[in-house]
Amino acid sequence: MNKSLNISRTLVWLGRYSAPVALVLLFIFGAAAVPNFVSERNLTAVLFQYSVIGFLALGQLLVILTGGIDLSQGSMVALTSIVTSVVMSRYGLAAGVICGLTMTTLLGVMNGLLVSRTKMPAFIVTLGMLGIARGLAMLIANAKPVPIKEAGFAVIGKGTFLGIPISALLLAAACVIIHYFLTQRRLGRYIYAVGSSEDCTILSGVNVQNVKLLVYSLSALLTAIGGLIWSARLTSGSPIGGSGYEMESIAAVVVGGGDLFGGQGTVLGTLSGVLIFGVINSMLNLAEISPFWQGTLKGILILLAVSFSLVRRPGESKR
Amino acid sequence: MKALIQNAFKIDPGSDKRDLAKTVLILLGLMVMATILSKGIFLDLNNIINLLNQNAILILVALAQFLIILTGGIDLSVGAITAISSVVIVLFQDLGLGTAIGLAVLISMLLGMVSGVLVTYRKLPSFVVTLAMMQIIYSLSKVLCGGAAVYNTLGGGEINEKLLGFFGGSFLGIPNPILVCIAVVILISLFMRTSYGHFIYAIGGNYNTAYFSGLPVRYVKVSVYILSALISSIAAILFVSRVGMGDPNTGQWLPLDSIAAVTIGGASFSGGVGTVAGTIVGLFILSVLNNIMSLLNVPPTIQPAIKGAVILIAVYLNSRKKQS
Repeated sequence: MNKSLNISRTLVWLGRYSAPVALVLLFIFGAAAVPNFVSERNLTAVLFQYSVIGFLALGQLLVILTGGIDLSQGSMVALTSIVTSVVMSRYGLAAGVICGLTMTTLLGVMNGLLVSRTKMPAFIVTLGMLGIARGLAMLIANAKPVPIKEAGFAVIGKGTFLGIPISALLLAAACVIIHYFLTQRRLGRYIYAVGSSEDCTILSGVNVQNVKLLVYSLSALLTAIGGLIWSARLTSGSPIGGSGYEMESIAAVVVGGGDLFGGQGTVLGTLSGVLIFGVINSMLNLAEISPFWQGTLKGILILLAVSFSLVRRPGESKR
Repeated sequence: MKALIQNAFKIDPGSDKRDLAKTVLILLGLMVMATILSKGIFLDLNNIINLLNQNAILILVALAQFLIILTGGIDLSVGAITAISSVVIVLFQDLGLGTAIGLAVLISMLLGMVSGVLVTYRKLPSFVVTLAMMQIIYSLSKVLCGGAAVYNTLGGGEINEKLLGFFGGSFLGIPNPILVCIAVVILISLFMRTSYGHFIYAIGGNYNTAYFSGLPVRYVKVSVYILSALISSIAAILFVSRVGMGDPNTGQWLPLDSIAAVTIGGASFSGGVGTVAGTIVGLFILSVLNNIMSLLNVPPTIQPAIKGAVILIAVYLNSRKKQS
């Protein structure tokens, strides 16, 4: 009796922490088997590349926790980079950053209003917004990339502090804040409640509409920050960039133990999900595996991660 | 006779006639707008045939997507299946046209079965399964043909003349791609009226109820994924015939476009609601919109924004109050 309880406890623990555990195992494997994997150059390169996806995945996590989905992230990265670079070239650094963040967050607020105030599914709302954000970016930039000349701006994309990329430090700070918000604040707990059972949450007197409005706005804000880092790394704004990033952020959340039906997922898991993709990508490249095979390996990895990490709550029927 | 005709035009099960009427109204409105804005060019027979030909592939894929959405799932791998089928059809022409097509269809159905089994038996969310399958299938098709589009068979031969001529050809004055679409639409509409079709609605409506009613829920669900892959690979035949090559990167836009068409057509992501007719109308809303924009020379830079806005408006007009 006691033994079986122990085993099931271990399984639940493994289910909850499967992504961080997998990340550690992968890292050890990489260090042992792949030459040059544990070198300062390689590891900082992974952090530089994946801190953008990290910000997107944090936003995606908030949305997925409520049972929604945000497909507009990739286009929003492009829109942020274009608005920032265009405004920056005329009115300076601060104005560019503020306008980029505001514009994208406004589209996120629109996502939130449409999802919470109408009966439209989140998938379609954000799919429509994917087109709108991309179109706006193309229109503003006239379909051409816009160079960024402000030298100070590139720091958040290329700079390091004590050897660690500044973008990774920003991501770490954002993770701590979102983790605190999700686990310690009442509003954060409401986000889990909405995803677990929307009806119960409504009946408990929570304003579900505003919780949903908040998560879509926050997702856009985090995406905008990711977009700033992305354009700082490229030192230009690109209207065609970022396409498909939303799929990467969704995959990271899901590999990190997030449940697309809502109510399950953690910041630690999501961050591990992002880094798992980063580590695997760098291992595949260092081991000189043909890029054609890389999609197969990543796809199989997603399938394995999902089929092992999904801990079903008892008595639950899912499609 | 009258009863027969009435029966033939009866709307599929699980539909709300008012919903379909609303969608048709949106389409008619768009078409009137297109005619006025283009000063009549839109109604030109050539333009209409062109529009249908251009959207033949998307019509097939939207039907594949429709079946999956009806079960409450979603299929992001439809475009990837079209890509791998097109590559297989071109590469294995040495074995004969029929064998190559048969092989492509078989491989697609096998891949569809993998998704179906993972979704049904392991109870994984179809979004993630088909997202992963999409990556796997695209990567496999690149492995098959070395990453670039293929114009020649494995033995260096040419693509079959008959296949290349098929897309441009016509039968009784109707262009072949339109004929294929009409045939598939009629087959699926009839199919939805069989008891199997009703099972699909039942599973999407309430999986547990269908299970406790003794329906073979698992077999039906897996078979829908296989059927969907089959239809996507038929679309690949049209693709090869149209462009004369197998392309491992094609179809990236197909999943989202087909999902948009199905949803505009009144289907619900929770499953069990939607019609073949609605899907076709939804698809035409998107394609007429594309057609207007190219007739009016709308700069391609703002086309995605207009398309996105129209998707939102169409779905908003179509969404009715549902009890959650």
